[in-house]
Amino acid sequence: MVGRPVSTINGRDTAADERQNLESTFRQIVESIPVPVAVTTPTGEVENLNQATLKYFGRTLEELKGWKSSDVVHPDDLERTISAQLEAHMAGCSYNVESRHRGADGVYRWFNVLGLPLRDEQGNILRWFHLQVDIDDRKRAEEKLKASEVDLGHIINTIPAFAWSADPDGTTDFFNQHYLDYVGLSAEQAKDWGWTMAVHPDDRDSLAQRWRGIMASGQTGETEARLRRVDGSYRWFLFRASPLHDETGAIVKWYGTNTDIDDLKQGETFIRDSEQRFRTIFDEAGTGITLLDLAVGEPIQNNRALQKMLDCTEEELGRYETFNRLTFEGDRESDAHTFRDLCEGKCDTMRMEKHFVLRDGRSIWANVIFTLLRDAAGDPRYVIAIHEDITERKLTVEKLQAKQDLLDLAQKAARAMAFDWYIQEPVNTWSPEQEALYGLAPGTFDGKFESWKGLIHPKDWPLVVKTLQHAHKTGEISIEFRVNWPDGSTHWLAANGQMFFDEQRAPYRMVGFTSDVTSRKRAEEELRRSEAFLAEGQHLSRIGNFSWSTASDEIMWSEQLYRIFEFDPDLTITLELIGSRVHPDDASMLFDMVERARTGATDFEYEHRLLMPDNSIKHLHLIAHRAPDRDGQVEYIGAVQDVTERRRSEEALSKARSELAHVARASTLGALTASIAHEVNQPLSGIITNASTCLRMLGADPPNVDGALETARRTIRDGKRASDVITRLRALFGKKDITTESIDLNEATLEVLALSRSELQRGQVVVQTQLANDLPPVIGDRVQLQQVILNLVLNASDAMSTVNDGPRQMFVKTELSEDVNVRFSVSDTGVGLRPETMDHLFDAFFTTKSTGMGIGLSISRSIIEGHQGQIGATPNDGPGATFYFSVPRSPAGNRAVLVTDAVSNDDKHVWRKA
Amino acid sequence: MIPRALISVVDDDESVRESLPDLLREFGFEVEAFAGGEDFLASDSIGRTRCLILDVAMPGMTGPAVQTELKRRGHKIPIIFITAHGDATTRPRMIESGAVDCLLKPFSEKALLEALDTVF
Repeated sequence: MVGRPVSTINGRDTAADERQNLESTFRQIVESIPVPVAVTTPTGEVENLNQATLKYFGRTLEELKGWKSSDVVHPDDLERTISAQLEAHMAGCSYNVESRHRGADGVYRWFNVLGLPLRDEQGNILRWFHLQVDIDDRKRAEEKLKASEVDLGHIINTIPAFAWSADPDGTTDFFNQHYLDYVGLSAEQAKDWGWTMAVHPDDRDSLAQRWRGIMASGQTGETEARLRRVDGSYRWFLFRASPLHDETGAIVKWYGTNTDIDDLKQGETFIRDSEQRFRTIFDEAGTGITLLDLAVGEPIQNNRALQKMLDCTEEELGRYETFNRLTFEGDRESDAHTFRDLCEGKCDTMRMEKHFVLRDGRSIWANVIFTLLRDAAGDPRYVIAIHEDITERKLTVEKLQAKQDLLDLAQKAARAMAFDWYIQEPVNTWSPEQEALYGLAPGTFDGKFESWKGLIHPKDWPLVVKTLQHAHKTGEISIEFRVNWPDGSTHWLAANGQMFFDEQRAPYRMVGFTSDVTSRKRAEEELRRSEAFLAEGQHLSRIGNFSWSTASDEIMWSEQLYRIFEFDPDLTITLELIGSRVHPDDASMLFDMVERARTGATDFEYEHRLLMPDNSIKHLHLIAHRAPDRDGQVEYIGAVQDVTERRRSEEALSKARSELAHVARASTLGALTASIAHEVNQPLSGIITNASTCLRMLGADPPNVDGALETARRTIRDGKRASDVITRLRALFGKKDITTESIDLNEATLEVLALSRSELQRGQVVVQTQLANDLPPVIGDRVQLQQVILNLVLNASDAMSTVNDGPRQMFVKTELSEDVNVRFSVSDTGVGLRPETMDHLFDAFFTTKSTGMGIGLSISRSIIEGHQGQIGATPNDGPGATFYFSVPRSPAGNRAVLVTDAVSNDDKHVWRKA
Repeated sequence: MIPRALISVVDDDESVRESLPDLLREFGFEVEAFAGGEDFLASDSIGRTRCLILDVAMPGMTGPAVQTELKRRGHKIPIIFITAHGDATTRPRMIESGAVDCLLKPFSEKALLEALDTVF
């Protein structure tokens, strides 16, 4: 609204005057506005333009009146401007629009056009005022800013570092793309405190703490932490944050970068490690090291070993003066001189043996090697001195020297045991040590040759004489002889030396050493003796040794074994050679042994025969054992014994035994007289009586034929009865070879009982039997087993012969026992067994009876044991005793006689040809 | 008719009890046979027995035991012992004990007749 001017000329002014005044005032105002102003009619025509406008555009009013088409406004902005104006006009309000206008120089500039409507009191728009404010600079700045902002964005997203920003409270609001891509988070996920997800769990707390510290300090700060890459691996980063302050100094923002320092850190670690290693080496080195800086003139580094060696602190050794002081006084000057030469570069390395005296007065020696290091110009700069403590060595050398002295002393003493005999002198003085060799007290030897002879064992004197004669010829003395000590003991002496001659070649002097070799001699004796014993023993026992290497078939024999086989002792023994002597029937055993050896058996035992060239037979017993493997070789060592004699005697013994058994049976026969007599005599008696009766009956008148027939019948019956007894007796007492057959023990028992029935009746013995059904057969000699049964039965009967106050009961039982043996037992109610006799019951010639040889039970034992059975006796709970034997039941179809060793070892069988 | 003399035979052996009485009967004797001494002693033949032929070894009472019992009872029956056991000393021993005779089995008819002659 334009203000009303105050001045009036007179009352007579018209509205037109007023308006003219107004207009000129208005024009003045408009003109005075520095900014280009345009005045337009409501319809848009340009009415007035101020000077600024004209000046800017460089056009006249007339030209600018048709400004729409005057291409003043940038074509791109024209439409926008017009529409803005129209809108404003319609709405009756101001408008504000930015557009480019071309100036006089033809360049477009940005203007902010402000359109203001001039209204009258009714509100009608009279005029439009368009103010054009030049905003070109600002606009350009804006654009530049925008452009630079874009650039900045690029930069921020391009720089290799991670950039981020945060509010003063620490919540982050921006991460550059690199950061986000690296940790694999989106901006959404990362902002605020989401980014901590990517920090290594071990570092989160310290990072957070440090971040808070930085924020609190308000200063730029940094820390290190590990960030997780999108692939899951962690790398070290340097987190660096800087604050942005406003004018008041308050922090408005934190800007930060994270830089990858992982390689650096690795490097750091590596360096730290290698530094550490170097440090360790330096410090822990066994030798003392010092490093001198010649520029400084002092030792700058020394290690623990040196400190320890010289008993100084690190600090003390940091001064050259210390080294000087520690040096042995006498060496100080010369050592310093030598050292100076080095420092002046006269030489590059040097070695010296230094004598230090430590603070406690101890001396130590060190071997010192100096090395000079030059600088780039070639001038001496550093010296490294390596000290090796050789005190021990030096002492050892001294000790050794002391030992050496002692040794010399000892040798000097030993020389006292040398002999030094002036042969042509009547008397030679001996040292106490020499006298000691002969068991003489010091000073008791008279030094005469005859006396010496008296000390020597008479048996060795001839040897001494021989030795002296030899020495006379050759000058050499070497002898071992016995001497008799006064205490009665005999000692061996060894003497070695030289004989010397005078000008006439007569023996003049004997010099040498004598030493007591008694213990050695004794040991030699022992060895010789035991060797002789061994050889003799082998010979006596007819045992020879062998060893057999199965891989190479190398066989070694002792002398005795050659003798056994009757081979020449020079022959090389081979399996073939052995085979040539082995009895053809036993050859299979040899093969068997070889086979089993090849499959790695540990023990053998064999008995086999040799067939000698003269067709005689030898029996050998062989035992072998696998020796511990050596280099994987299997070796057997063993012994072979010629048991021919033994076998023969065994056979003889066996023969004698069976003779004896026969005799025993015969003795038993004596005891059986009653039974036999009874058994045979009864039927005989019957026969004779019946025959007599028969004759009488037939001789009667008339003949009693029926009666005679009856007697004849009875005769035949009795004859048969007698015949049966004879047969049984013959079977029992006939001498037969041992047979083996399958035997029913029940049957055998019954037969024996039948045979002894009358004897048992005479003894008034009541016999009860309990014979097991299905008793399995046993393998053995029927006659022998029956003999045993008979023996036990008769013994039982005898045991009851003195019993008058009770029944005489015999209980005979057969059964299959638990261990699958067949068991026979006889129990009686007789006198029983006394404990002291139990151990001897089965011994030969042991008897408690007044008659009989006492062989029965021992033979019975032999028989049962020969059947691989057991025999024994136990007292009854009541009166009497039970005698029993058990034999193994017969295994299916086995006819061999196998005598197995009690020691159960799979490979230890003794095979005999049955 | 002359009552025939009774001879009692005591022997556990069946064949003796069968054959001996027959022979004795042929000799003209009456004979009774017993399997054991107890049987004989329990029988009523004791009184009539003019001669006892007695086995020595028997289960139960032996021959000598019967002899002793008869003595105890006061019977004076002549006894001829017969036995399958024994040796040269047996006969004199038995005769000494009071027997008329002792015959070792097998004995002949002749030996038997001689012994009987001593009794009768």
